[in-house]
Amino acid sequence: MRSDALTLPSNAPRPVVSAAAHALFWLVFANAIGVLIAILLLFPALNRLLGEWTYGRWIMVHLNLELYGWMSLPMVGFLFKVYGADRGPLALWCRPVLWVWSAALAVGAYSWLTGHSSGKLFLDWSGYARVLFPLAMLALWLLLAVAFVREWKAATIYARGAKAAGLLLLLIVPFILFFASSPNYYPAINPDTGGPTGASQLESSLIIVAILLMLPFGLARRKAERSKAIAISWAIMVAEFLLCFVLGRADISHHRPAQFLSLGSLLIWIPLTPAYYAAFNWNANTRRWRIAFLCWWAALVLSGWVLFLPGILDHFKFTDGLVGHSLLAMAGFTSSLLIFVLVQLLGEDGWIFNRTRSFYGWNVAVLGYVMLMTAAGWREGFDPTFTILPGVARHVIYILRLVVGGVMLAASLDWLIDAATLLRESSVVHATQEATS
Amino acid sequence: MLRDDGRVSGWQGVSLVAITYVYFLIFAQFAFLKRLASLGVAGSHLTAVMAAMAVGGILFSLLTPRLSIWPSPSLRLRIGLCVSASAAFLSLLPIGPVACIVLSFLIGAGLGLLTVTLVTHLRCWMGNRNPLLLAGLGTGVGYLVCNIPAFFNASAEVQATTAGLLCLAGVGVTFLPMQPQPEETPATPQTNYSFLCVLACFTALVWLDSAAFFIIQKTPELKAGTWEGSMHLSANGALHLLAALASVWLLRRRGLMFVLSASFLALGVACLLLLDPHRIALASIFYPIGVSLYSVALVAYPALLAPVTSAAERGRQAGWLYAIAGWSGSAMGIGMGQHLGSIPPLFVLASGAVILLSWPHSIVQQHKREVTLTLAMLLTAFGLNCILTANDSPLQLTPVERGRQVYISEGCINCHTQYIRPNSPDILMWGLPEPLQALRHERPPLIGNRRQGPDLSQVGGRRSPLWLKLHFYNPPEVSGASIMPSYAFLFRDQRGDDLVSYLESLHGSGLPQHRSEEENWHPSPSAVASANDRDGERLFHRSCATCHDANGETRWADHFKRLPPDLTVGPYLHLSLAEDLAQRRNRIARIVKFGVHGTDMPGHEYLPDNEIASISLWLSQQIRQPNHNP
Repeated sequence: MRSDALTLPSNAPRPVVSAAAHALFWLVFANAIGVLIAILLLFPALNRLLGEWTYGRWIMVHLNLELYGWMSLPMVGFLFKVYGADRGPLALWCRPVLWVWSAALAVGAYSWLTGHSSGKLFLDWSGYARVLFPLAMLALWLLLAVAFVREWKAATIYARGAKAAGLLLLLIVPFILFFASSPNYYPAINPDTGGPTGASQLESSLIIVAILLMLPFGLARRKAERSKAIAISWAIMVAEFLLCFVLGRADISHHRPAQFLSLGSLLIWIPLTPAYYAAFNWNANTRRWRIAFLCWWAALVLSGWVLFLPGILDHFKFTDGLVGHSLLAMAGFTSSLLIFVLVQLLGEDGWIFNRTRSFYGWNVAVLGYVMLMTAAGWREGFDPTFTILPGVARHVIYILRLVVGGVMLAASLDWLIDAATLLRESSVVHATQEATS
Repeated sequence: MLRDDGRVSGWQGVSLVAITYVYFLIFAQFAFLKRLASLGVAGSHLTAVMAAMAVGGILFSLLTPRLSIWPSPSLRLRIGLCVSASAAFLSLLPIGPVACIVLSFLIGAGLGLLTVTLVTHLRCWMGNRNPLLLAGLGTGVGYLVCNIPAFFNASAEVQATTAGLLCLAGVGVTFLPMQPQPEETPATPQTNYSFLCVLACFTALVWLDSAAFFIIQKTPELKAGTWEGSMHLSANGALHLLAALASVWLLRRRGLMFVLSASFLALGVACLLLLDPHRIALASIFYPIGVSLYSVALVAYPALLAPVTSAAERGRQAGWLYAIAGWSGSAMGIGMGQHLGSIPPLFVLASGAVILLSWPHSIVQQHKREVTLTLAMLLTAFGLNCILTANDSPLQLTPVERGRQVYISEGCINCHTQYIRPNSPDILMWGLPEPLQALRHERPPLIGNRRQGPDLSQVGGRRSPLWLKLHFYNPPEVSGASIMPSYAFLFRDQRGDDLVSYLESLHGSGLPQHRSEEENWHPSPSAVASANDRDGERLFHRSCATCHDANGETRWADHFKRLPPDLTVGPYLHLSLAEDLAQRRNRIARIVKFGVHGTDMPGHEYLPDNEIASISLWLSQQIRQPNHNP
């Protein structure tokens, strides 16, 4: 594949390759910070070398770059593809939009390191960065809107409707982000844990489900034979949104049966999602990541519900157990889903994510991390000194955590290097084609 | 003496480059200055001496390519080395200020002749097999030798003698076979930058380097953190060598401008870190990397990479490069260090602009749209932010409000919660839960999601301001092996005291009720039964000895409300004669767990009952009858 790329015209749309490269850059950067954080836990004295850029500030950078860099930019690539912004003269504007996005992330990272934060987890945007990042989102929106208008005639009426609705939703996102980052707004609180309520967890999970259901329509064609799974899935999702609406947004404990039972309604997605995805035609090279993301999804839904049950949540709250669950969600499920999306978008160029070493390295490391953190959280639930005071067991866990973090960093670096190679080769092909024409 | 192409192994070139660097770094920059100090040359005399060196250097850098006498490169190099060696040996004599000026001119002149001749004809001594690698190796070895602890710490006389002898050895090297000056080749795209642009970049880098070098030299605490100690020097030497080799690799793979930009980033970061003596350790890593990255380029560019058509043009470019970037840049950097004592961040930015804006070919030309849109968005965001904040009147915040902002800025919520869960063990450790309504008034609530440390929602009721401050300075000292970083830097300005004020303000309304529950608490019978004095002693030394041992680290007597008693002698203000042994053990256990309110004695709420019972057992055995009370 790699040697052919120089002589054969690449079938990879370059904006998507660029989006993948930007996303992977931020993944590697954020993972490197994760490794730094793991080192600082083992050797806290090293904080002195960092001056004012201590552990707490790096955590903000790590979390936000994972979310707004790695987890967002592949979806930007997806939107380029769906709205047709990656074709024709508009494709020239995809890369500038990616630059603006990355510049906003760089400004954000600097602002967090210099102590500017809203004090809200994953919504630390503050001051100048809080204005710049939504503007970057608006730049993307504008590009998509122009692409939408340009492709108006070519699209079917259903596609037009879906894309118009999508544009409306996307227009709201920057404003939501701006206002949600304000210290004046705070979501519903579970009074028994200080965390989110069952209803708000159901709501955020359903947004993920909605994205999962929409993705295949932008990525692949449906199989010829009709599948009931598609209609059933959409119907269940609407019903669950209604349930969510009924539950409201009050500060309610997870001990209320209505809360944990309603959250349990998500379990239906464990069998339903694979059936839904089986109704579409996928590139053959997406197979391993499709299986991976569906496995992580099943693990996430099941463990998410179990961890919310009375008694269990009380045991694990504020412990490493929930850190492990967050990693399962972000590095396990979301990352494998995003890579699956990128492989599908890249077509044959998806080889960059399909090296056996990085695939198993990443997934085994994530599994190891989740198991370690669950074990630590289980122990910590009985004895808070397990984390607060030093001990052999805690140190061993921190060392193992550093090791698996290092493996995740190495895997992501592998993808980045391959993506950079692909980008370079794709540029050469592009230049050659231009010269020939 | 000329041999056929390809028969020169290249080690001659490596040794000549290394010798030149060693002479310049260890003699001209170090030993000669130390010697001047020992001769009593200071003030305006010192300025005149240094100016003479710069004048000699500039003059001979510019004259060397234009000299019609001594046309043979070997002969010219020998003369340069001999002049340099003579200057080093003459510096050993007890000379006066005027002689020092002459000698200094000689050093500059020798170096000017030596450096320009060497790089103009470097390929004659390097051969054609990997000359870039050899140039990098020569530079790296030069820096490595200078950082050998025994050599670096030797007296000025030893350093001058060694430098002189090395120059003489260099003369010997010039008698070895060399290859003819090869044909000049056309420029490659990687080096196709205008000479003025390259000159400006090198000047900015040398300026930064010299300023940083001078400031480190003149500031004892910076010098202690960078160039003192054998380990440090060895590490510096290794870093220099590795960075030099990395520079070679980058020059090949990414080109000159990439290396100069990387060098600027490393040097710029080092210069910014030098503003804060606490970050000197980090600066001592970036500084050698930045220096070696560009030092290799300073040899490789005029010798191998410059897009020239003749040896004469190569010589002229080398002359201008060393005269302007080398000597003038260095003089200006030292002047800045002398007059300002630090490198202003704005200057670092300006240097960065010179270097990074030299990428027009690769950035602006190839990415016009990207750069334009990004700049437009950055400016638009700036304007919008100004509009959005235009009506915000500057608030007069209280120390508590400012402290809360510090809590947010430092990301404390990533390790500490502010939420006590009802019907949970949290209550006994940290206080009674507060109603959600109170939490909702906070902007934003700082609940947090993870406990790497204790809950802080009612920390003000459990810890004194002094304890909090001591803890921020050095957490492990007062909180047995805590993994919390030191926040001593917050106390360099108002932030530390504000943060302490904020934490002190964190009280729950249920504090009196919690106090009465504390009074009724005692370790569980099973914990008391399993307690043992050996564990108690170990735990005492981990958690209590820092204050309660006569040699405890935290006994800053003048800061405590009352000096913590040495528990081997007392006094035991909070124990009573009337209590029997079991009651006393319970009393000690309560003090260990919850502290003594109204004093600086903290609790250890998170310790399990068996550990508390063990400490209590051991202490009750150690404490004599509490009849020592004053």
